[in-house]
Amino acid sequence: MMILLILTGRTGLSAAASPMEALKNPIETVLSLLKDPKYKDPDQRQQQRDKILAITRQIFDFTEMSKRALARNWKSFSPQEQLKFADVFADHLSNSYMDKIQGEYKGETIIFLGQEMVADGKALVTTKIQRQPSDISVDYSMLLVDNQWRVYDVNIEGVSLIKNYRSQFDQILVKESPTQLIERLKKKVEVKIGN
Amino acid sequence: MFLPGILAVYSAESPAARASSSDDEEYLDDAAPRITVADPLYVLNQAVFDFNDKMYFWALKPIAQGYKTVVPTPVRRGIQNFFHNLGSPVRVVNCFLQGKMGAMASEMCRFVYNTSFGILGFWDPAKDYPHLNPPEEDFGQTLGFFGIGNGIYLVLPFLGPSTLRDTIGMGGDYFITPMTYIDPAALAWSLKGEETVNDLSFRIGQYEEMKDAAIIPYASFKDGYLQYRKQKIDQ
Repeated sequence: MMILLILTGRTGLSAAASPMEALKNPIETVLSLLKDPKYKDPDQRQQQRDKILAITRQIFDFTEMSKRALARNWKSFSPQEQLKFADVFADHLSNSYMDKIQGEYKGETIIFLGQEMVADGKALVTTKIQRQPSDISVDYSMLLVDNQWRVYDVNIEGVSLIKNYRSQFDQILVKESPTQLIERLKKKVEVKIGN
Repeated sequence: MFLPGILAVYSAESPAARASSSDDEEYLDDAAPRITVADPLYVLNQAVFDFNDKMYFWALKPIAQGYKTVVPTPVRRGIQNFFHNLGSPVRVVNCFLQGKMGAMASEMCRFVYNTSFGILGFWDPAKDYPHLNPPEEDFGQTLGFFGIGNGIYLVLPFLGPSTLRDTIGMGGDYFITPMTYIDPAALAWSLKGEETVNDLSFRIGQYEEMKDAAIIPYASFKDGYLQYRKQKIDQ
């Protein structure tokens, strides 16, 4: 009896929040940070940015995103290159994401439409942003890793972020080496920081 | 005797064991086949892409920014609604051609509603009724609906990414667009220009963001366009 209790306590499968719940809180926190008048001042932008990035680092699984963006090319990267790539790709994605929301977000409402269990440990959470003249659909593909739901792809109006990067990386890796691709990404990130 | 059995069950359940087996090839299987289109006119397309890029920063963006400063937002929204309403015939006909009768009816209702209660379409009261806002159709999508492939990738001057099918689609829609029949042609063109600048005034910054997010803008825009159109055809 006691052993049974230990087993169920340890595996804790029921403890994982649903994918939609796992996504809702971070997104709502990010939105409130964006709407917070405290950060209206351009000097405060970096602080706002850092706070938001801390949240996105938790909810996005950048390693998974890197794997899928490289697909078959992932295996041809050395473990060191894989780490470096995931790191710099994460920075690049975070920067692009930050630019987009800090630039575009003007207080729109985000509606969580629902979630769909695609497979064991995989789910799709659908949302839409209420905007003029028409709403924008944003879907999050999520993976259950270590009992946590995290995002591995974002689909905006039918365009998958990961597929879009894959088409670019495939093209680059035909002629260039993994190190060269990593350098390219590094340069993009550095230009941003220089700004 | 009892204990090893329980420990075996316990360790099989642990996250570490689960992760290493699902980890390996799964990220490869996940990929739905990528949408690709032949690009034999690559050299020309790239040149037009670069031309469009320059036109955006040198001409279109400054004009749209000036316009945005001068024209108040509600007025710009009204103009946007007005032109969107004028696009109804194209949407109605293409819903019909695809046999989407429900959507066609919705489009017609929306047109009537917005033209009357929305005063010639300057207001969009129909947007509060989701069933009056079906996915929008055009002739390129109609051709795609009937299984006609993209053909080849094209980058059109000013208009941007397209494919052979979608360009032919635009040609087809040209004949059911009310503005086509406005005389003199110069007026029709300046109205088209107005519509474009007005729309752009809401989207300043989007092009720059997409370009910045990309490692190879040409490839990114091509892939994005193809994915976007596929989604629209599937709707």
